[in-house]
Amino acid sequence: MKPTKQIVALLLVVQAVATVYMWVVTLLETLSTGQFAIFLAIDLLSFALVAYVYTHEKWGEVVNRGWIVVGSAGLVILLLSSLYFS
Amino acid sequence: MMLYYVPSPSTAFASTQYIFQTVYFGRFLETVHLYTAYAMIMLAFMHMMRGYFVSVQKKPREIMWVVGMVMGFVTLGFGFTGYLLPWTVVSKSATDVGIGMISALPPALSSAITFLIVGAGGDATELLRFYDLHVVVLPAVLLVLLTLKMYMLEVHGIAEPSTGQPAQAKAARGLPIFPDVTFYLLGLAAMFGSAMLLISAVFPLSLPPEYTPQLAAQFTPQPDWYFLWIYQILKISVLERAGLPVALGLVTLIFLVLLILPFLDRGQTRKIRDRPTYVTLGLIFVAELIVLAYWGLESPGRIIGTEEAVFVLGGTAILVGVASWAAYRFLSRRAGDHAAPKTRGALRTAVGFVSLLAGGAIGIGWSLNGVVRLVVVGPSFSNVFELILSCGLLMAVVPLTVLFLYSLESRNGSLKRRFCMLEIGSENK
Repeated sequence: MKPTKQIVALLLVVQAVATVYMWVVTLLETLSTGQFAIFLAIDLLSFALVAYVYTHEKWGEVVNRGWIVVGSAGLVILLLSSLYFS
Repeated sequence: MMLYYVPSPSTAFASTQYIFQTVYFGRFLETVHLYTAYAMIMLAFMHMMRGYFVSVQKKPREIMWVVGMVMGFVTLGFGFTGYLLPWTVVSKSATDVGIGMISALPPALSSAITFLIVGAGGDATELLRFYDLHVVVLPAVLLVLLTLKMYMLEVHGIAEPSTGQPAQAKAARGLPIFPDVTFYLLGLAAMFGSAMLLISAVFPLSLPPEYTPQLAAQFTPQPDWYFLWIYQILKISVLERAGLPVALGLVTLIFLVLLILPFLDRGQTRKIRDRPTYVTLGLIFVAELIVLAYWGLESPGRIIGTEEAVFVLGGTAILVGVASWAAYRFLSRRAGDHAAPKTRGALRTAVGFVSLLAGGAIGIGWSLNGVVRLVVVGPSFSNVFELILSCGLLMAVVPLTVLFLYSLESRNGSLKRRFCMLEIGSENK
């Protein structure tokens, strides 16, 4: 499998996990608001990365590894910040 | 939020508080709503300035620029109308100051605007009309303008990178709207949404106290950050003494110049390196806005002395102007072309343009003030004399502007292009 396809597969898994997690957050607790927001943010950021890889692959442009690294670092920061709200 | 919010002075704050404290995710929704609104205003401004610097407003996209500017004004309208709705002491006091300024406009205009946005029923009508404007009228207007802009985008295409050549509109087309452009834009929107969610989660809003006349009396009203620059201009001593019409005339002139910019900047080149005058003016504009907004934030309610204003604003303009001139000089030396005479010419043009603009702004504001005083106070020697002087200034600025433009065109040898300003959208001419 091409590296870009591996990245997309990984991001889709992250997206799916984030979406599932959003459904188990207790909506009645104040702290859960922050958790919900963070997991929705993870979902959106994964989608943004998938869209970036998809469009650049389709247009025949080089997928910049730097942006993938920055995006992944963003995902890690978001995941860690979810601990703050738990 | 519309499910719970009740737009009436007695219930607006209570219903907002209910959303904050009782409704699940209510506080979070309010936070996201406010932060995304701020981001929308900031991004709209950045979009405008980016467009200005890379000259997207040039032929054939003049009307697109005008529509975009009107969309910007509508966005500010969203901010102004939405600010009042929670009915807090901060929002109501600031909105009252804004509405009070309308009374300084010429009587016919003032009555029409007051009737439209405030009505005759006091606070209750005012709040209801602001709510209607915020959730029905302005979204409808924005939707129409967005449709118009997207249509023009389809017709003219996205502005291609500035190459220093006249716009070649049909060069960079071909990507289908779906899925390519849609996915690209959705990706950007998702990234923006992600950032907004993170900020909203980390910095949740808190609601200021409810508006009461007693509490408002102890409070110095201050507008939201995007109107702070106007607030600061109005507080400059000389403008305050001259009256609100003069200050408002100056602010209107700034908006007007931005609106009709494509018809003022008719040069063919889009390359930043070849447009030192406009780029420098743009940099000065951005710097002055930042300085005015920060200054307004730091000096609530304090009248600014004229000398202080001239020193700070003039100093900012000179600093940015000199920095820009130095940067252009450095770049042209590095590129090896002897552009010094061109830079000196650009500097002369910038000084001439700024002087004429300042003269025009003072003339318009001053004469407007003179007319209003003549109507309101009645004819007296000093009023008539002031009106004659201000009209004289305006009459001097107009031929000087024509002369200035003529001399510029003579130097560039492109006088004929000046008369193409009505040929909007005709790419083949």
